[in-house]
Amino acid sequence: MVEHSSESHEEAANERVMFGFWVYLMTDLLMFAVLFAVYAVLHDNTVGGPTGRDLFSLPLALAETLILLTSSFTCGLAMIAARAGHKKQVLNWFGLTFILGLSFLGLELKEFTEFIHAGHTISTNAFFSSFFTLVGTHGLHITSGLLWMAITLIYVMKRGLTTHMVRKLTLLSLFWHFLDIVWIFIFTLVYLRAFV
Amino acid sequence: MSELKPKNHKNAHGTTLSYVIGFVLSLVFTINAYISVVNKSTTGTRLLATILVFAVLQLAVQVFFFLHLGRGPKPLYNVTFFFGTVSLILVVVLGSIFIMNNLHYNMAGTDVIKKLAQDEGIAQVDGKKTGACAAVGTNYKVTIQDGKISPTTTRAQLCDTLTFINEDSGAHKITFGQQQSYAGQEVSVNKSYPKTITLNQPGIYLFQDSVSPTTAGNFTVAP
Repeated sequence: MVEHSSESHEEAANERVMFGFWVYLMTDLLMFAVLFAVYAVLHDNTVGGPTGRDLFSLPLALAETLILLTSSFTCGLAMIAARAGHKKQVLNWFGLTFILGLSFLGLELKEFTEFIHAGHTISTNAFFSSFFTLVGTHGLHITSGLLWMAITLIYVMKRGLTTHMVRKLTLLSLFWHFLDIVWIFIFTLVYLRAFV
Repeated sequence: MSELKPKNHKNAHGTTLSYVIGFVLSLVFTINAYISVVNKSTTGTRLLATILVFAVLQLAVQVFFFLHLGRGPKPLYNVTFFFGTVSLILVVVLGSIFIMNNLHYNMAGTDVIKKLAQDEGIAQVDGKKTGACAAVGTNYKVTIQDGKISPTTTRAQLCDTLTFINEDSGAHKITFGQQQSYAGQEVSVNKSYPKTITLNQPGIYLFQDSVSPTTAGNFTVAP
């Protein structure tokens, strides 16, 4: 009886934490919605400069999308391993997720540097301001997700898969799936939309 | 106690199979959206609608198979919160697009660019002349004395300037002819306060004093 009540207590705490984190994700989504609205309104305002169609590379955007989607998938597999208590698998799958996330970030930075070297900075025109703000905010989220992942994985290595640690990993995986969903809309409304 | 035992969580957290289904469906939707844009199977609004449908389908798939929304313990406050957020997003995004399109419609883009260019003196936008003058040309003078204008005819080039000088004690209000009115429409000139206009629109223009129509003249701006 005692064990059951402590377990249901743990369960209730889990639900509270999960709901709290869900509320954070939804408010973060609202912020992205505003940045999307700004981009939708301003993306034509190039003051005679090159547009997204002239500059974006669709194969690069597709590569970024597939990498992030795969990382979302490996993150899910890592969570299955975490709930089954397989520490080594957790480290492997999350390790793979981390590498994929890092390559996504690398591709994004490569694109940004090319734009900036060609003279298209955040202050060039309204199109670039809204583009760099929207895509850059997502990139910052990815960066903080990667940092969070690295730190949590070090904890997992040191302390093992405790209940507490699995809860942390669950939140991290929610965050990572969420970033993939936001990226789908960046891929569609920023990159694909430019070629419609 | 430290190792978490596998629990009866299948419904709340999903299985390998559910992740594989979600992954494969997402891949299919992504690649389909990509191909429909690259191949231009349709165009314009229909193509935009197509890629939006793929994005929304992928959203639904990932929310269900990756985030497992709606499969936790009831009551489902997080589902309520999710749909609340989605409706707010729709209001913010669609509302912004609607309002700003309306604004663009009422202030047609080319007019705005032209007005901005003239205000800022930008002579060219995108290789096209705006009618604004980057460098000012010759200055011509028109003097009003005893209700008479001299010279009555002025021939100027685009981007030249025209100065009205009033030698009478009363003010003269110069209006430009009704059919070919000039930007600015009306110039009020007082004694010893000349007014200068920049001739940034080619054409033939008539002007006159608004009180005494006999005080009249014209100027031609060659392109």
